[in-house]
Amino acid sequence: MDRRTLIKSGLAAAGTVAMPAYLRAQSNRKLSILTWNIADQEALFKEEFADFKAQNPGVEIEWLDKKGPELPAFYQTQLVAGTAPDIIDLQGMIWVEWAANGALLDLTPYMQKEPDVAKLYNQDYLASFVYDKKNYVIPFYIAKTLLFYNKTMFKEAGLADAPKSFDEIVNFSQAMAKGEKTGFLTLNFDWLYWPLMQMNGVELLKSDMKTPAFNTPKTIEVLEKLAKATASGGINKIAWTGRWVEPNGAFASGNVGMLQAHSASYFFVKGQAPWVNPDTLGAAQNPGNWSTPTNHGFAISKSSKNPDLAWALVKHMTGNKWATEFSVRRRILTGNLAADKVGLEKVKAEDPLAHAVLLTQLEHTDKMCGNWPLPNDAQVKDVFWAEIQNAVLGRKDAKTALADAERAVTRVMRRS
Amino acid sequence: MAMAMSAAPERRRTSFLRRATTRQAILVWCFLAPSLLIFLLYRILPLAWNILLSLQAWSPLKPAVFIGLENYEEMLTDEVFWQSLWNTVFIILSAPVGIAMALGLALLVNSNISGRNVYRTLIFLSYPLMTVAVAIIWRWMYDERVGLLNYVARLLHLTDTPIPFLNSFFWALPSVVVANIWQMLGFYMIILLTGLQNIPSSLFEAAEIDGATAGDRFWRITLPLLRPSIFLCFVIGMLNSVTSFDLVYVMTGGGPGRATEILVTYIYKLGFVQTRFDYAAAVTVVFFVFLITVAWAANRLSGGNAGARDME
Amino acid sequence: MMRRSPTWPIHLALIAVCFVMLVPFYWVLKTSVSGENIFTYPPNIVPQNPNIFYYVDVWYAIPFARYFLNSVIVSAITIAANVVFNAMAGYALTREFHGKGFILILFLSCMMVPFQATIIPAYLITGQLGLLNSYVGLALPQFSTIICIFVFKASFDAIPGSLIDAAKVDGLPEWRIVWTIMLPLAKSAMATNVILSFIWSWNNFLWPLIMTRTPEMQTLPLGLARFLSYQEDTTGALYAFCIMVLAPGILLFLLAQKEFIQGLTSGATKG
Repeated sequence: MDRRTLIKSGLAAAGTVAMPAYLRAQSNRKLSILTWNIADQEALFKEEFADFKAQNPGVEIEWLDKKGPELPAFYQTQLVAGTAPDIIDLQGMIWVEWAANGALLDLTPYMQKEPDVAKLYNQDYLASFVYDKKNYVIPFYIAKTLLFYNKTMFKEAGLADAPKSFDEIVNFSQAMAKGEKTGFLTLNFDWLYWPLMQMNGVELLKSDMKTPAFNTPKTIEVLEKLAKATASGGINKIAWTGRWVEPNGAFASGNVGMLQAHSASYFFVKGQAPWVNPDTLGAAQNPGNWSTPTNHGFAISKSSKNPDLAWALVKHMTGNKWATEFSVRRRILTGNLAADKVGLEKVKAEDPLAHAVLLTQLEHTDKMCGNWPLPNDAQVKDVFWAEIQNAVLGRKDAKTALADAERAVTRVMRRS
Repeated sequence: MAMAMSAAPERRRTSFLRRATTRQAILVWCFLAPSLLIFLLYRILPLAWNILLSLQAWSPLKPAVFIGLENYEEMLTDEVFWQSLWNTVFIILSAPVGIAMALGLALLVNSNISGRNVYRTLIFLSYPLMTVAVAIIWRWMYDERVGLLNYVARLLHLTDTPIPFLNSFFWALPSVVVANIWQMLGFYMIILLTGLQNIPSSLFEAAEIDGATAGDRFWRITLPLLRPSIFLCFVIGMLNSVTSFDLVYVMTGGGPGRATEILVTYIYKLGFVQTRFDYAAAVTVVFFVFLITVAWAANRLSGGNAGARDME
Repeated sequence: MMRRSPTWPIHLALIAVCFVMLVPFYWVLKTSVSGENIFTYPPNIVPQNPNIFYYVDVWYAIPFARYFLNSVIVSAITIAANVVFNAMAGYALTREFHGKGFILILFLSCMMVPFQATIIPAYLITGQLGLLNSYVGLALPQFSTIICIFVFKASFDAIPGSLIDAAKVDGLPEWRIVWTIMLPLAKSAMATNVILSFIWSWNNFLWPLIMTRTPEMQTLPLGLARFLSYQEDTTGALYAFCIMVLAPGILLFLLAQKEFIQGLTSGATKG
């Protein structure tokens, strides 16, 4: 971390006591960009902006960063007030709703005009940002779920290798459960638990993307197995109620056998777990190579007064030069092919385990699931997840919960 | 006080008094004006906005369409709404528990003992602490396997099977309530302490000379004179608990299922997560009416006039 | 003067309560010096390798001094406005006037509007006033708080009418009565108001987040985002940050304690 720059900017900030009226100062060469909880990369962004300004003299850039849960509240307030930032960093599938509502600019014309741009990115990840055959988002940084496993606990339970099927996940987790120890955890926000469904062939919707398709005997069976394993302690209940700190913290404590999570978890867990090394932590694909992506990408507000300039900045930040810098400095994959190649090479030398983890993110990208471009994704997710919780935590039997979920999802679909 | 003089029958005096009351009325409204203005801007207008919005179909980028009571109709069959309402009621009903505890504490730290400032400070500490961090600590304390509560319970052989607190549909809401009381206790305590300070100590001394026991003094002097503070505490406590958004949002996010969903978390989710501001506005209006009703009932129970004693 | 009953049961009860109250707080403190994983089992009661690195990290990770200064300015504006406006309104409510019942109900109902539902209109209104991204705009929604109006009202109500009548006979104008007689007797209400308005303003998160756009205007709680980074492990810094935000509140509470005690002794001369 570059502290000196931070102090300097802090001091510089302290010098300006008068408040600038940003609204009135909105010149026609000004861009504002809103990122999603990545304030730790301040130094890098400052360099990227300086470089952009050098290439585009007279351009001003306003950088805003908001914490995840509040970013939508901030952005929508700005939308109503007519002062939405030109560029926004969006996570998960929230962009679909905003695109469908007309908040975001369709980037397809730009990409048709400059066909080379699309070739910079991993095609599967780029495709996950398409709604209604239009491209609204350019990948900023990418991740998808994989299976972390505690090799020490596997050894103690006499297990040799990562599970190869859903039933093995369940059985392995039962085998490791004992006292404070549990066998399995998954992240559950957005649709990150979906690989557990997909590996059993469960589909959320029929191909019309409107009618629920999940209420089948197979799904009932899956939920019954999960509920049983949860009740017996094989699956840690945090899997169904925790968010970020709790599941990662629990896995880092060394008392949980497996964690289904995306690559960011590795860095979080490693920071808290001195036990992590290639002999103790394994990183594998989920059975069937299924995974759910959780990506960040840049979109441009339709209300932007300088869409062309905004497009140029998006290209600048996700292009080879700065995406490489980003990948190397933050040990992250950007979806930019050239950048990730360099980033991976660098990580390989420094932290082989991190390399192994990141490698999983670029394999089997054709098997990504749980990211349907639904304009009412948040509503569907909310009603569906509540019933899944009911089933796996034993409040309702699987059959009732799924019937209720089917009713709720149908209702949401009919409303829109 | 001033009114007591208005009984004077003489004509000349009446006109003088009329002028005096006019002057006083002007003064009173001038004194109220700044606060009224703030409330108008940040409470009343936003409420009016919500009321208008609740009759429309609107999202930030779509033009508003008047749809009458459709949003309200939807609420009738919205299970999540009813569950949230019920959870909110449960939390309101738990507010007196916290207040009773705080009253006990306020009496203790108001007594003439050494180190009472230390006690007050320690009890107050929980209130100004940022909720985000505390919520994570509470999550851990409640954890089924590695949490402190179950750890202690196991050490003391209180239970054989660990209690899954936040992971259980039965325990989650009471667990949230306990964490909420923990956070609010210091706040209630200082409101009640302020009320206790308003009671002239001469009253206690006189009662003591008359040979009243500590119990008598509490029931005959403290409790009646503290009624306004207790009402205030209840209203604030109720509001703070049902709008204690952060704690619930970070600790459980409303789950598992809908076990800890309360109206305020539901309103936030509807608006900012699901972009259904119109429907969120309708829920807000109903929530508002509901709270007013509860406050009105509490006011009636405490003897009217917003809990304030009429000057005898 | 008074009969003294033994005080040890009171101490015992208070120590027990404080102990329970302090457990979560202790964990915040412990984590802030150790940065260790909260979910460790069995829990470490004593921090392993305690150090103050995380506090230093916090200082450098965000422009702490700047945010701190902003928070101080906004809180000072809030407190000043609060004490003045609330005391005025609280005093007005002790008088009899037409529409008092209505005002009481209005005030109470103002408390019932959840803030989360008012964000968008509040933002638009502040924008209309031209106060977006300014100190006054940050403080304005909290300029007057209903709770503290009622705290003042209760305090004023408790002042014996005879004192005010005597002042009136002396011909003191109304505002002087409030200033010289009533306010000094309502010191504990004032202390309460100062503490509470400070804490609300100091910890206010969502409103500054929505309405500030430039880094120069950010208040301290907004620094939180920096410590909830989801790729680095920032546990220790997060908790150190919480303690650093908490500290001024505690300091103010300790200072205000004096007013509580004075309130207690001045009560002895009342009536």
